[in-house]
Formats: sequence, structure tokens, C-alpha cells
Amino acid sequence: MTDLKDLFTAIVDMQEADALALTKQHLGNSTPAIDIFNCYQEALEEIGKRFEKQLYFIPELIMSGEMMKAGAEILKPHLAEQETGSGGNGNQKLGKVLIATVAGDIHDIGKNIVTMLMQLNGLEVRDLGVDVPTDEIVEEAVAFGADVIGLSGLLTLAFDPMKAVVETLKEKGLRDKIKVIIGGGQMDQQVCSYVGADAFVTDAVLGVNRVKGWLS
Amino acid sequence: MVDQENKSAARERQDAFLAQWASGEGIDFAGNEEKAAYQKRAGLIASAITFDPDIERVPINLLTTFAPTMLAGVSGREAMYNPDAAGKAYLDYHNIYQPDAAGLAPLLMYGPALETLQYKLYKWPGNGVADHLSFQFMEKEYMKADEYDWLINDPTDFWLRGFVPKTADALAPLASIPPIYGAMELPMFGPWLVSMGTPPVQEALKALMEAGKQCFDWINTLGGYLAKIMAAGFPCCAGGFSKAPFDVLSDSLRGTTHLMMDLYRQPEKVLEAMERLVPLMISLGVGGAVANGNPIVFIPLHKGADGFMSNEQFEKFYWPSLKAVMYGLADAGCVPFCFVEGAYNQRLEYLAETADIRSVYFFDRTDMGKAREVLGGKVCLQGGFPISLILTGTADEVREETRRLIDAAAGDKGYILSIGCAMDEAKHETLKAFMEAGREYGVY
Repeated sequence: MTDLKDLFTAIVDMQEADALALTKQHLGNSTPAIDIFNCYQEALEEIGKRFEKQLYFIPELIMSGEMMKAGAEILKPHLAEQETGSGGNGNQKLGKVLIATVAGDIHDIGKNIVTMLMQLNGLEVRDLGVDVPTDEIVEEAVAFGADVIGLSGLLTLAFDPMKAVVETLKEKGLRDKIKVIIGGGQMDQQVCSYVGADAFVTDAVLGVNRVKGWLS
Repeated sequence: MVDQENKSAARERQDAFLAQWASGEGIDFAGNEEKAAYQKRAGLIASAITFDPDIERVPINLLTTFAPTMLAGVSGREAMYNPDAAGKAYLDYHNIYQPDAAGLAPLLMYGPALETLQYKLYKWPGNGVADHLSFQFMEKEYMKADEYDWLINDPTDFWLRGFVPKTADALAPLASIPPIYGAMELPMFGPWLVSMGTPPVQEALKALMEAGKQCFDWINTLGGYLAKIMAAGFPCCAGGFSKAPFDVLSDSLRGTTHLMMDLYRQPEKVLEAMERLVPLMISLGVGGAVANGNPIVFIPLHKGADGFMSNEQFEKFYWPSLKAVMYGLADAGCVPFCFVEGAYNQRLEYLAETADIRSVYFFDRTDMGKAREVLGGKVCLQGGFPISLILTGTADEVREETRRLIDAAAGDKGYILSIGCAMDEAKHETLKAFMEAGREYGVY
């Protein structure tokens, strides 16, 4: 198997131009596209670990997402559709996550970073966007077969819409079937207890790891 | 950066401006009692900022947006469209809760003027979000990756012909006018003047005139209430505003994700742009402070928080230009009042570097015990009380947390009690409990 250490290092070290050039070079040298794709996945796992160790931060998460996107664009024509699943092992996903910024709140930067990370970590994600009404969140979660609902909100005015989602799940007898995680700048244990969520996070990677922990 | 001698001179200028502000000179008070109340409140804040050992108690200073209006049952839309409703709510709020500084009702801005401009930088109640909510920022890539040189070489031109046309649709035609430099000579003046006469630009100028008139009328109405608040003895919590150059780029111009990528793709341009913004942010802050006779310059800090970047990135990209703005403000006698949004547990040591000027750090999610450990006695601390407890806790829980927070943070007499966010909303019982507990437990 071709040694892709140079590509792995370029991605992990945030060398965007080198990563792109090496991707094309290895592809040109007949390295299987799936091996190159898996190299990207492994590099992103390493980046995630460095984020957990507080060596890498949001700029590196964003850059890694960009490099993954650019790499995937180059590799896509050379990959069979089923090969872009989790870890390149077919289309097996860890689970399904429905994510949304709750009613009344239109902030989405954190949510978008979390969505990207979840997808890169083998989760199937449906992102409903921003200012999503409570009923729509619950209906879509049911239709999607979500294992987890992720609720995002930056404003304090998001607390009650988050609580409303949990209450609606209870009313419909779904609360024990779907986990709820809340995220945003003002989230803390006080809010988590008020909302009735299973967990709160203010950190994207912690959120992804919590969800993966529930689903593994 | 000011050298050692200049730093003490800066501190003297700051102390002089603080004393002038605390005296209340030039304010038309309702009576002697109200004047004395103003001097006491402003005096407490100035004493906390200057570490006066004789300070009597911890001052209480709340940062509010829609909380006073929501507490009065006024919707977000009404607050932004009806200055009488907003002004009355703010006046009542101060009389009920008696904070030591007045909140800034003009922060609410005026919906009709924003509608006239077809403003796109925010959505607000009555325009894009439900009537009962608050305004919300619409972050986008308003400045493209290849526009750094334009910003660096001519910031005002970029703002006028680049940024404003993208954030207010009624002013979009301003993107088509040429730079104004031809005005220097009669024969060269034509193109710019002609552009002013084109039908689209004429419509844009009409919209600007209309929005300006709307805002002028609005502030004249709201101003009556602000004058009453001050006349009743409440000093204003800030006189001017500024921003960290990194946040100017990240919040309003490039957007978070694009600027984060710029740190890797064109770091030198980012640094150059921030350096260019420093004197502009200083003059922005000083201008407001001098106009309002209030040295406190409010600087919301956003993207330098824990998690947003490493300490190395903070040291290279975020801190130097912010510090330059802070020292520039101090040199003019102003007091930088940094609202440290998010948490700074990983970088409190940097903030201690400004111990040689008067500065205030208003904390949101930072551990206040740790803040005191690193910064106590060096810079004035403010905040740290969780809004979540005001909104979802009980009065008893609020009283207990207030006591705990004061014990943790106030020992050096350089602490201002505050809820750690710009309050869009509040609950009467818990806010009342907070204010009462603050006055009870905050006596030195």
C-alpha cells in the first residue's frame, strides 16, 4: 500500500496547498482513491484529538473542513458512491442526528461546525437550518429516524424553545427514544436542567464525542 | 505603545476624566438629592476602577439591551419602533431596580430607519424575526478575500463604497460612485459630482436623508427619557464604543469562518489590516467619550475567547492590536471597558498586561475566582453572574450565588457586580433579588 504519510502530515499541519498538491499527485500515481480518502479521515481524526487536547482550536477545525471538502471534490469522480461512508467501510453510519437552531434564533456558525464534524465522524446528519419551529424539529426527527436531536441557540431567548422541544417529545411518548443535546454560548448545567436535555456543550468536539458515546 | 512616563501621564488623564464624569458637571439634575445620588453612583464606579481603598460597597452595573423593555411588557418590535415606549420602560427600570449606572436605550436603534435603508446586517423584530424577540446579527462574507488591500489603503472609501452598499440595499448604488479624490481640482470634480446625480444614487441619497431624519427625530424623543434617567441620578454606563480590530474583521467584514481561514491563507494581510484599523478604533472610542463627557469606552470582545484560537494565535493576531486600541484610548484619558464574551480562563495573564492603565474587564463565562487570582488588584473586574440563574433560577439561588460571587471576586475592591451578558431579557423576582443581595453583601 502506498505510503500516504506526507499527505497525512500536510493535512494535520494545515498545509492546505501541499495537501491539495499531494492528493493530485498520489491520484496521478494510481494510488486508490479510497486510500487517499481514508487518509483524509484519519488526518481529521488526529485533528479532532488535537482539538480535545487543546492544541488545535476553531481555525484548525474550519481549515480541516475546507481541506476535506477540496479533497473530496478531487476524489469524488474516482470513488464509488458507497465508499464515502464512515471510515471508508461502506455506508454504515454510527447513527442519525437531527440538528437545528431553535425557533427565534438565527445564529448558525457553531451549528455548522458541529454538523461538519459529525458528518466527518461517521454520523448521518440532517441540518434543518435556523429559526426552526418546535413542531417541525420533532416531526422531522421522527421522519428522519433521529437517534439524537441537537439544538443550537446563542440567545437566552432560545432556552424556552429548547424546553418546548423536550416537552413535545415527552407528550408524544418519544423522550426515551431520542436523546437531546443543547449547544450554544450561554449553555450551562442550569439551562440543561431547565430545558430537560440529556447534555449541554459549549465545545463542538465535546458535543460530537458525547453523541458518539451515546450511539456506540 | 506609550512608554513608562507616558503611561503614568495616561493614568492621570484617565483619573481626571473619571473625576470630571463622576462630578456630574453640566447635567441638569432634578434636584440636589438626585445630584448627590449621581455623584455617589458614579463615584462608586470610578472608585472600583481606581482601586480606592475607601470605597464603601461594590457598585452594581448591568448591561442591558431589551431586558428593561421586556420587563415592562413591551415587545422587541415596540421597543425598536416606539421610542416613547422604549424610553418609558428604561426610565421605569432604573427607578425600580436602581443600578449604579444607566443602561443604554439607544442601543436598541430605530426600526423604521433600518427599514428605509433596507438594512441587511441584522434581522430584527418586525423585520425577519418574531415581534417578541431581539435583533440578531447576520454574519456573512461582506468583504471578499481579495479586498484586503482596498481596506488597508483606504478604509473610509472601502466602508463607503464597499461595505455599506452590501449591508443596506437602499445604499447599494453607492458602490458605483468613484472615489472622492477628484474633488481636489475643478476639472477633476465632474465624475464624482455626476455620479451623485445619477438616478440610482439620487434614490440612495434620498433614502439616507430619510433614515437620518427618522433617527434624528427618534433620538430627540428617546433623548428626553435619557435626560430624565440622568436627571434622576443615574450616570451612563459608557460614553463611547470601539472594537478589537480582529473582531471588526471577523464579525462584520470577513465573517468568522473566512477570517479563520485567512489566518492560514493570508496572515500578513490580516495583520496589516488590523494595524490599519487601530487608529480608527481609537478615534471612534475617543469621539464618543468626549462628546458624552464619559470616559468609559465599551469594547465587546468576541473571537479571542477560549476555544476560538490558541494562545499563540491570540498573541499574534488578537491581542496586540486590541492592546494598542486600549492604550490609545487611555492616552486620551478614556477607560477601556472590555466586555469579555465567552471565557478567558486560558488567557487571563494577557489581560494583566494592562495593569499600568485604568481598564475594566467585564466577564461572561470566565471563572471569577481565577480572574481574581490572576488580575485582582491590577485591573478592575466586572461581571461573572450567570444570566441562566436570573432566567431559570429562584430568588434564593440568586441571592446565594450573588454572595458567593462577591466573596470570590471583590476582595481587592476593584470589582463591579454585574450579570455576565448584555441582557435581552430578565425576570423581575430574580433581578430584584440580585440587586438586593448585591447591595447587602457588597458592603466592604
